[in-house]
Amino acid sequence: MLGFLARRILIAIPTVILISVFVFTLQKLLPGDPVLAMAGEERDPEVLAFLREKYRLNDPLYMQYFHWIGGVLQGDLGISLRTRQPVLTLIGEKLPVTIQLAVMALIIAVFIGVPTGILSAYRKGTWIDWLANIVALSGLSIPNFWLGIMLILLVSVNLGWLPASGYAPLSEDPLRSIQTMIMPAFVLGTGLAATLMRHTRSAMLGVLKSDYVRTARAKGLNERVVILKHALRNALVPIVTVATLLFGELLAGAVLTEQIFTIPGFGKLVVDAVFNRDYAVVQGIVLCTAVAFIAMNILADAAYRILNPRMRDT
Amino acid sequence: MPEDAPLLQITDLSIRFGAAATNLVDGVSLSLDRGETLCIVGESGCGKSLTALALMGLLPTPPARLMSGTAMFEGRDLLSLSLQELQNVRGDRMAMIFQEPMTSLNPALKVGEQIAEAVRRHKGVSRDAARNRALDMLQKVRIPAPEKRLDEYPHQMSGGMRQRAMIAMAMANDPALLIADEPTTALDVTVQAQVLDLMRQLQDESASAMIMITHDLGVVAEMADKVAVMYAGRIVEAGPVAAVFENPQHPYTIGLMSSMPSLGDRSGKLVTIPGIVPPADAMPEGCRFVSRCPFAQPGCALAPPMREFDRGHAVACWRAPLETGVDAPSPEIAGAA
Ligand SMILES: Nc1ncnc2c1ncn2[C@@H]1O[C@H](COP(=O)(O)OP(=O)(O)OP(=O)(O)O)[C@@H](O)[C@H]1O
Ligand SMILES: [Mg+2]
Repeated sequence: MLGFLARRILIAIPTVILISVFVFTLQKLLPGDPVLAMAGEERDPEVLAFLREKYRLNDPLYMQYFHWIGGVLQGDLGISLRTRQPVLTLIGEKLPVTIQLAVMALIIAVFIGVPTGILSAYRKGTWIDWLANIVALSGLSIPNFWLGIMLILLVSVNLGWLPASGYAPLSEDPLRSIQTMIMPAFVLGTGLAATLMRHTRSAMLGVLKSDYVRTARAKGLNERVVILKHALRNALVPIVTVATLLFGELLAGAVLTEQIFTIPGFGKLVVDAVFNRDYAVVQGIVLCTAVAFIAMNILADAAYRILNPRMRDT
Repeated sequence: MPEDAPLLQITDLSIRFGAAATNLVDGVSLSLDRGETLCIVGESGCGKSLTALALMGLLPTPPARLMSGTAMFEGRDLLSLSLQELQNVRGDRMAMIFQEPMTSLNPALKVGEQIAEAVRRHKGVSRDAARNRALDMLQKVRIPAPEKRLDEYPHQMSGGMRQRAMIAMAMANDPALLIADEPTTALDVTVQAQVLDLMRQLQDESASAMIMITHDLGVVAEMADKVAVMYAGRIVEAGPVAAVFENPQHPYTIGLMSSMPSLGDRSGKLVTIPGIVPPADAMPEGCRFVSRCPFAQPGCALAPPMREFDRGHAVACWRAPLETGVDAPSPEIAGAA
């Protein structure tokens, strides 16, 4: 297992390098001058020149890249051109917020998606299956922003049950933190729940037909044990893989939802940085997301091995 | 339940699938006494597994439909038990070994756990006791290093080993009836013989009755007290194994015997029965063997009933009992091959 992880991490390194080059060049190709954005009202050519010099914007592109990546390797993602804070600090502040949102969304998605998937596979072709599929399809087709706004209108404005926006860190006020996050997490979670439901359903359908499920029934086990122990254990492999990959997507996909609910997370950081041409921040964020994504992939593979005894010794 | 009632009495079992017009298992009746071994033989697709699965309540319904029949087992009709009653019987009083050793064990669970689970479910014993029983059983089926095997996964075992583990699982609760659906078909020839030996020995020790499904007459000769020959969903001949082997009556049985070099055709030439089994949608109303039968006559358009003509030996053929000896395969069958 350790050997496997080491191998996977080694293989991931070139990918990360490639992504860093890509992100870096793409940034530079975008229109707009960061110095102008930074200088604000100031248009004095001398100031602009000074800033260009200070941020090495006159160096050849590859030099700029090596300068940046050299810093990254030492844990220095640079400084925000706008707020002058280290990028790492910014990310460190915002990432936990988004992770909390993503974890809550994933929990909601798992609690809705997996049981419905199991039920609809077990009751394939019945009205339960139909209903679950229709709900899942709606879950996939309803846009997050619409669902978010509707929820705010209904739950917060009309019923006044939950705050419409605002954020409290989990460490300071856990209850309020969860209260403010539950709606956005739900909005994010519904689409995921639908995806998870469909994967669970198809995995379970395959497994329920298998000979060992028949063996389990032949032993006289009741249906609950047959489904939850014998079938689900085997269907879990694809389900966990999908869930892990989805979690990676969640981190990146939370942007819109964070905007709607004004949550000061990663998404807000990204949007602000892009609009302000805050290169260092954008690069740092994309790099972080890419690494998180790759890490999730490796985790998914590891989960696959752990859940699948046939793969464990390799 | 009277003392002399058979352990299992199947009467008129018929099964079909979905909206099909013919029964894939049609009017099957069988009986089995305590400790007895009944072999069901027949070509691939003749309904052997369907019959066995129906007894275990393991047919997927739908699409399968039970059209008729009862199966009295220890005083209860297996075919009309509630799911919960059925769950209490299977794995305990009645157990099954399947055709596919490679896929019949759960790949995600340890072999020991899979056996112990059956014990815990029915005997309500502690985890430790169940594990000990599993260990006992692995020893009984002669799996080397059983302590180690308890904690192994199926993929770490060979096919023969897995089938032994399946046998251990099925026998763990000393069932009164063991149904073995071609337990050795998927195994190497040498392993086949070992597994059959083992099954016979275990059966002797536990006094279980057994229904052994096979299409290998060699297995029948070795294992059976009684044999039932199935063709296209129907039993065409049944009786004590010696009687059926020495004096086969149904043209299909005769054909089967002669297709076995060691029993029928002494010249060693393998004789096969000409023709094919009619497809389900073109099944004749009367005798289902008629299209392949060298003795077919107009009367065969009416389905022949099973008639007992000698003690326990019954046949479903209008021409039976044959007056002429049938030691050698009849010339029509042999000639056409
Ligand atoms: N789910 C199903 N739907 C439709 N037909 C089926 C289904 N399962 C089995 N059958 C048909 O039922 C018939 C009997 O099948 P069965 O499995 O009992 O044969 P068998 O005698 O056990 O053959 P084998 O020796 O190959 O195991 C076959 O013709 C098969 O095509
Ligand atoms: Mg079969």
